Amino acid sequence: MNRALKRISIAVLVMFLALMINANYLQAVEAPSLANGLYNGRTLAEQAQVQRGSIVTSDGVTIAESKQLSDGSYQREYPDGAAFAPVTGFEGVNGDGGMEQAEDSVLSGSGSQLAFRNFIDMVTNKPQKGATVQLTINAKAQEAAYNGLAGQLSGTGRVGGVVALDPSTGAILAMASYPSYNPNQLATADGTEFNKLDKQLIDESPSPLTDNATQTTLPPGSTFKLITSAAYFTQNPADTPNTEVYSPDVLTLPQSTDVLHNDADEACGSAGANGDVPIIDAFAMSCDTTFANIGLDLGGTTLNSMAEKFGFNYTPSITGVTTTSSNYTVSSSPPLTAYTAIGQWDDTASPLQEAMDAAAIANNGVLMKPYLVQQVTASDLSVVQSTQPAEMSQPVSSSVANDVKQMMIAVVQQPDGTGYAFNQGVEGVEIAGKTGTAQTIVGSGVDDAAFVAFAPATHPTIAVGVMLQGAGYGAAAAAPIAVNVIKAYLASAGQG
Amino acid sequence: MPPAALPNQPGQPQDEEAAAAGRRRSELTMLAFAVGVVAFAYINVGLSMKGQSPGTFVAYIILFAVISGAAHLAVRRWAPYADPLFVPLAMLLNGLGLVFIYRLNQAGVKGNPGNYNLAGKTIPIPTLAADSTTMQFVFTVIGIGLFVAFLVFIKEPRVLQRYTYLFGLIGVVLFGLPAVLPDSLSEVPGTTAKVQIAIPGLGSVQPEEFAKIFLAVSFAGYLVMKRDVLSLAGKRVLGVDLPRGRDMGPILVMWVISMLVLVFESDIGTSAVFMGLFVGMIYIATGRNSWLLIGFGMFVVGAVIAGALISHIAARFSTWLHPFSVANLVDGAQPSYQLVQGLYGMASGGVLGRGLGNGQPFWTPLVQNDLVFTGFGEELGLTGVMALLLIYGLIVQRGLRTALMIKDPFSKLLAGGLSFMLALQVFVIVGGVTRLIPLAGIPTPWLSQGGSNLIASWVMIGILVRLSDMARRPAPKPIQDEGLTQVVSLK
Repeated sequence: MNRALKRISIAVLVMFLALMINANYLQAVEAPSLANGLYNGRTLAEQAQVQRGSIVTSDGVTIAESKQLSDGSYQREYPDGAAFAPVTGFEGVNGDGGMEQAEDSVLSGSGSQLAFRNFIDMVTNKPQKGATVQLTINAKAQEAAYNGLAGQLSGTGRVGGVVALDPSTGAILAMASYPSYNPNQLATADGTEFNKLDKQLIDESPSPLTDNATQTTLPPGSTFKLITSAAYFTQNPADTPNTEVYSPDVLTLPQSTDVLHNDADEACGSAGANGDVPIIDAFAMSCDTTFANIGLDLGGTTLNSMAEKFGFNYTPSITGVTTTSSNYTVSSSPPLTAYTAIGQWDDTASPLQEAMDAAAIANNGVLMKPYLVQQVTASDLSVVQSTQPAEMSQPVSSSVANDVKQMMIAVVQQPDGTGYAFNQGVEGVEIAGKTGTAQTIVGSGVDDAAFVAFAPATHPTIAVGVMLQGAGYGAAAAAPIAVNVIKAYLASAGQG
Repeated sequence: MPPAALPNQPGQPQDEEAAAAGRRRSELTMLAFAVGVVAFAYINVGLSMKGQSPGTFVAYIILFAVISGAAHLAVRRWAPYADPLFVPLAMLLNGLGLVFIYRLNQAGVKGNPGNYNLAGKTIPIPTLAADSTTMQFVFTVIGIGLFVAFLVFIKEPRVLQRYTYLFGLIGVVLFGLPAVLPDSLSEVPGTTAKVQIAIPGLGSVQPEEFAKIFLAVSFAGYLVMKRDVLSLAGKRVLGVDLPRGRDMGPILVMWVISMLVLVFESDIGTSAVFMGLFVGMIYIATGRNSWLLIGFGMFVVGAVIAGALISHIAARFSTWLHPFSVANLVDGAQPSYQLVQGLYGMASGGVLGRGLGNGQPFWTPLVQNDLVFTGFGEELGLTGVMALLLIYGLIVQRGLRTALMIKDPFSKLLAGGLSFMLALQVFVIVGGVTRLIPLAGIPTPWLSQGGSNLIASWVMIGILVRLSDMARRPAPKPIQDEGLTQVVSLK
């Protein structure tokens, strides 16, 4: 029996070793991920005892803060919740997206960067406190963007987004989405209530939880002519904006019985039925035939490589922002290539991409990497981390950028330009832009509106991309929002 | 070099007594250490939950020291040669269990504020019944009382062999009783497990805890009688020595009983321990691998079939594999909520633990019972968990060592079986709450709240101490005066 007993002893040893190894795995390896598990009341209760850091904008407006309740615990509050929801996200029984999630470790004060300060606090018997995260957002621009979207889209069941960038740094100045939600409601500690609200928001169509500024893509329409023009000037360095190009009333597409004409079958300015006009005039009036023809000459591959330099077909990585790639697909069929050159067919772009297009032109052809976190400041006001601007790519040379810039100025400042309603005489600031109206369903009369712009035209400090689903003409629906964002920002930055 | 004095040599009785006294002295030292750890733990709870040390628990420390002293004196008087580790180790576990019940019973500064105010909502936190600590002490006293009584009245463990069939019958009746009683008497509130007998106005008893001891004794007696036929008869098939069909009777009966427990009492944990105990003992008795294969195979097949037919057994597997899934954690009855909260507790403890009284074990439903181990994991950390596992491991190891030393087959089998059963219980419940295996609720020996397991565990230690005393007792002294016969040690 002793042999069997010895074997049983070995089996018992194996059983205990398995228990010990498993306990080690659970408590030493898996512990950090379990701490953030669903329904982890312990972590929540601990967090409720720590004052979480605030989220503030670059102009000093607090958009998320923890207020102490009478019982000593803290409740997260979002003062202008809906406008800033795509930026902040929310934090409660279950945090989701935005800065609250991306910068959770510093906001909660548990990040390794703060370990030394926490230790000092512990020794000096001060309560642990989270770090403040300062964003690049300008509160005035953000509010102008959100109010503009709400004004156009409220009650329509359609979506829209606005992104504004500082062209010289890539700092995100505004990132607004419509429809939005009230993060104060979701910042609840009650799991059941949270699930109910969360499910409601997910089931709503369109869901307010989607950030339309960065996750929704719409056809860019004529705003894509920026890219087509950039490709054209890169391909033909000798040409200038005054070079005359073929601009017929009706463009006969190759290998097809289909024809492409201007919006209301009109002639392109002074060109007549089959004449030429300076490319700057065609751009200002947004003649589709001109740019469709340029697209045919350049070919899909050239357009694609230019679009990709601007950031198409690539998912940008920005701390605290969930993004989607904008798409350009090379078509093997010339008629479809013609349509892609004017931002139709299956081109799609997010408002973020639109803003990046404008920013690259405004910044002499250099595209800066967009970012949202300016700096993180510990509770003792020391800077824990700060973001340095970085170049993302250089899609075009500065001379090509300058050519396109001249044409974008013409769109707004030239009397026959599609954006003349917002010229310097009216708005008091020289804006450069491009309108876009994409026919998503032909004949439905429901067009997606887009507008890209930057200002002041000569030394740009802000670039904006606006997209509104089914809102009609870009000049009528999207441009006013962009103009308001620009004016709000310049006024706030003391440049207006 | 002068020859060393040989112990256990005939004619040197003073050496034997000195050796026995030495063992008891080391037992007393370790026991003092165990009492010290428990006292320190009490003070720790008091400081962190009340901000002050003395209080009613001074009485608890004194009472615990008195109980420990009584256990030690009983061993000194009635089992002087016993292994010195059993009582201190079991006492330490029992003491830590008492501290933890006391800790869960307190509402204090951080560890259990009574209500948790979270973002403006008041979440009530359950505390144990006011008399929980006192009751646990009463159970401890009863357990130690039975431990002492066993040592006093059972001088020779082989007398138990006489009652092989009677004990078997008692064991089976105790096992099956809750299954036939109405749910109102036998169902544990809030669960589907029918494992207790409620005595209105007094509390409840979990008879299976005692059944296991009776059955272990019964198995030992039966297997000693049948061991030759069970280990030799049979034929070899595919390289495995298979027993004869007619010898399969006992294992079939045990299998049927364990399946009935599984189905009618919804208690897969006890069912597994029960089957494991029998299979382990038949293996120790026969040394035949085929019994292991047959027993293990039968249990797995049975459990799988039961799992396929009975939804709540299938649900246990689902909560084991996908505890964090929406279906198990969020929707409906939240079947994995308890397991997940236990895991969160252990994770929250990390390597060094939160410290007694500083964790939040109250989030875990029924943390005082089946999930008490996660409470220790939370407050004592991985360090404490490893120490607890080592203590259990040491008790099992001392038990198996006792079994190896014993010559009498019945006692040998009993010591081996009881030790293996303790290992199985620890494996099933600790493995269950740490998600190594599916969670099947059984008490954690000595640590869980409740009397049945605590008392039965002390009876088990009583048997092991008695067996160990027998194993280590030196050969009878020769009667020198008669000078005719002499007992010679053949060592």
